[in-house]
Amino acid sequence: MEREKGQGFLDAQMTRRQFLKVSGKSIAGLALSASMLSLFGCTQQEVEQDQVRTWAMPQGLLVVNEAKCTGCQRCEINCTLFNDGVCSTYISRVKIGRNLNMHGSDGIQNQNFVYFPDTCRQCEDPACGNACPQKAIYANEQGIKVVDQEKCIGCGACVEACPWHMPTVNPETKKSSKCIACGACVAGCPSGALSIIPWDAVAAAAQEIV
Amino acid sequence: MATYGWAGQILRINLTTGAITTEDDSHLQKYIGGMGMGYRIIYDEVPMETRAHDEGSKFFMGVGPLTGAGVPCSGRMNISFLSSWTKGYSILDAHMGGHIGPQLKYAGYDGVIVEGKSATPVYIKIDDSNVTIEDASDMWGKGTFEANKMMTELCGREFETASIGPAGENLVNYSTLNTSFGNSAGAGIGAVMGSKKLKGIAIRGTGSVKIADVAELRRLNDYMLKDLIGANNNHNVPAVPQSWAEYSAVGGKNRWSGAPGRMWEKAEGGPIDTGEQPCGDINKIAYRCLKGVFDNGEVATKYIVKMGGCSSCPVRCYTQYEIDVLSDYDLPINTCNTCMPVISAQMFYPSGVKDFKYEGDGKLVLNGAMSHAQDDLGVWCNYGNLYREFNWLCKTGKIKEFLPEAEYNSIPWEWEKNCDPRFCVEILRRIAYKEGELATLGEGTIAVQEKWNLGQEWMDMVDSNNQNITYNGYPKHHGPEDSGQIGMLFNLMYNRDCMIHHLTNVENSGAPYEVSKKVMEGFFGEGCYDAKKAYTPMNRNKAKVAKWAFNDKQFHDSATVCNWMWPMTQSPSKARGYAGDLNLEADFMTAVTGVDYTRESLEFDSERISQMLRVMTAISFNIHYGATELRNTHDAIPAWVFDKEPDFQAFQEGTIKMDREDMELAKDMFYEEMGWDIKTGIPTRATLEKFDLAEMADDLAKRGILPA
Repeated sequence: MEREKGQGFLDAQMTRRQFLKVSGKSIAGLALSASMLSLFGCTQQEVEQDQVRTWAMPQGLLVVNEAKCTGCQRCEINCTLFNDGVCSTYISRVKIGRNLNMHGSDGIQNQNFVYFPDTCRQCEDPACGNACPQKAIYANEQGIKVVDQEKCIGCGACVEACPWHMPTVNPETKKSSKCIACGACVAGCPSGALSIIPWDAVAAAAQEIV
Repeated sequence: MATYGWAGQILRINLTTGAITTEDDSHLQKYIGGMGMGYRIIYDEVPMETRAHDEGSKFFMGVGPLTGAGVPCSGRMNISFLSSWTKGYSILDAHMGGHIGPQLKYAGYDGVIVEGKSATPVYIKIDDSNVTIEDASDMWGKGTFEANKMMTELCGREFETASIGPAGENLVNYSTLNTSFGNSAGAGIGAVMGSKKLKGIAIRGTGSVKIADVAELRRLNDYMLKDLIGANNNHNVPAVPQSWAEYSAVGGKNRWSGAPGRMWEKAEGGPIDTGEQPCGDINKIAYRCLKGVFDNGEVATKYIVKMGGCSSCPVRCYTQYEIDVLSDYDLPINTCNTCMPVISAQMFYPSGVKDFKYEGDGKLVLNGAMSHAQDDLGVWCNYGNLYREFNWLCKTGKIKEFLPEAEYNSIPWEWEKNCDPRFCVEILRRIAYKEGELATLGEGTIAVQEKWNLGQEWMDMVDSNNQNITYNGYPKHHGPEDSGQIGMLFNLMYNRDCMIHHLTNVENSGAPYEVSKKVMEGFFGEGCYDAKKAYTPMNRNKAKVAKWAFNDKQFHDSATVCNWMWPMTQSPSKARGYAGDLNLEADFMTAVTGVDYTRESLEFDSERISQMLRVMTAISFNIHYGATELRNTHDAIPAWVFDKEPDFQAFQEGTIKMDREDMELAKDMFYEEMGWDIKTGIPTRATLEKFDLAEMADDLAKRGILPA
């Protein structure tokens, strides 16, 4: 995480690349600087105890603090109202509903209160895009992997190929959709469990000696 | 036909024949949804003579146009059916929050009519249009937590589930339908389902709710969350001072209990400070309600993991506890609840409570044990009457009189004396399994009164354990203590506790009286809103407030939105003068459905449901008691309401004791506002015809109870 000062934009690029390596995974084991912890709104203890996940998105780092998620589904609501013009949980690009009851060994039905929103990792080498027979999933000018709705035939190969099953074929439109990093979920999260930190800010914080 | 807001169809499942069909519900949309559709369907299809557990009994599990539409606090589901335990055996509702109601909408249904009886245990699986009746033999006998988990394992983790427990299976009147998060529908729905051998329901919906004007809906969401919403019960000022806030709660306590230094101490990864939550900051709303502290004191933070609640609601009122000390008693340590089961366990311990791990944690630890057990067994409490009656039996020594000696001696009283959490669990277990005379408590307040020959005087007596607000078998649910005659009036209207929070939300918001008074009088005119324990004689504006609250409650259970949060009467915004926005319900209805609603037109549609409730209640009282009026039967008020606090006169400052003559005037005015005959309290033909309910007027006429 330590880096030389004074490289501005390049710094942000390098920081992003580093976070891409752990995108969607726990960052337990990383020692974060005090200013980065403050930026992420979490504690080192939360990081160590596997409560914090980060997603490297083009416009910044999506930080999910599992311990703060209260399961209200407003992220799914805002995602679908913004992107689809309807309200739904199944087609939401950010997923919390399916994690509430049972999620691996977690969830209320496994006798704990561990549940959190999950979303696209924006992989550099995306399994979803590689599996698409129509080559409908591409990186746009900001590097976000998006589904070309014209090309998509709704076959579901992307859903199967994604290790986390993040893309979803909308049963009503018969087209696949996935997170396009719009930030609607973050803006409406009532517990601040979701936040997006701009890369410049992450890079600046990363310059602090840990 | 699918339209904006409504899914456009309802599902009909006959458990006798196995037939599963769908029906267009366009003709029912004038009844809004949930409760409104439920009343219309039950009236049309179930003769009012039917008893709750008969073959011919049905229930309607309904949601509404706003459920799952993204409107804040719209995660609820309403279930309408005939009562098995109140006087008159009339229409009532059970309601539940959680995440299951929206799933029903996403699966494509505004509701489900369940009829007939299965010969063997089953559960209903709704996977969009694939609806099946599945074998539940392996689940029968299990607690709700295990049954829900079994359904999830069988159906998939995207399904939401709800199940009945042993209480429902054993046809205990006080029985619930429960989700895994402690959301429960009560009022005996467990036994109604149990009588049909229906263990539970699992729902997955991959569809969506269509929105007429998405931009407007998003604008309204933003407006409500920034400018109008407060904390739980829409309390609009923080309990303790916060730097941005002009006021904090008078008395230092309300449901906006999150504050700097108050933590979710058991949070994974270390304590999380609930901090300040300024008006306008959407990303902090979830920290406003720290319900555990409101319920069980500051010590609760020691055991709080996080807060939870219902789909779509930013105010999290379900405290999620990890009470590790319960493992010493081999009891589950995780529990999640928000209502009576997590605040009342001390009622089972008349000898008193003791600390467990921290100073003052006794009540909380017992409540953790009780709420988990009650949810697992699927036992309902009738808004606390179950606990009150047990407490009364113990305190008066009547328990020795009413229980056979062997049964009395079989109760582990040493656990009661030692404040052992297993004691309340054991009492609840006996009730759920109908073991012994004590299980009479689970059959209902009327059953207790009749079986033990307690007479009318038992409901008239001045005693803190007597909260019966009518003679029909249920207690008050925020009555005169919050709003004088107004609270009294709507407490008389239903066939269970009223569950109306319109007035208590304002009275107990924490805002100074003068501030709330200005808001209320701005909406309803002079004299409509009294100070706590300083209420004034009845007037016309109070009758109008009572009518508004009564009708609006029907809207909430039909739309469906949460009555603890709605309506947005007050606001935390100083710039707004702390006034909320009573047009917001109609504005949301218009944005979601595309139908042009105004506050007035929405109240008219909601009042139609109130009129149906009244007609059905009148018919039930006529069938079962030959009653030709409701005023002095269903609406009769027990003496304690007027006779309590003998040192006070009614209207004196410091009392909420009511005045008999004044309450008669209150009934006169309220009945007039509702278009009911003053003498009988039954709707007139003119009123029913105004609401397109002429056939109900004909029905009353045929029975000889239509007012002349």
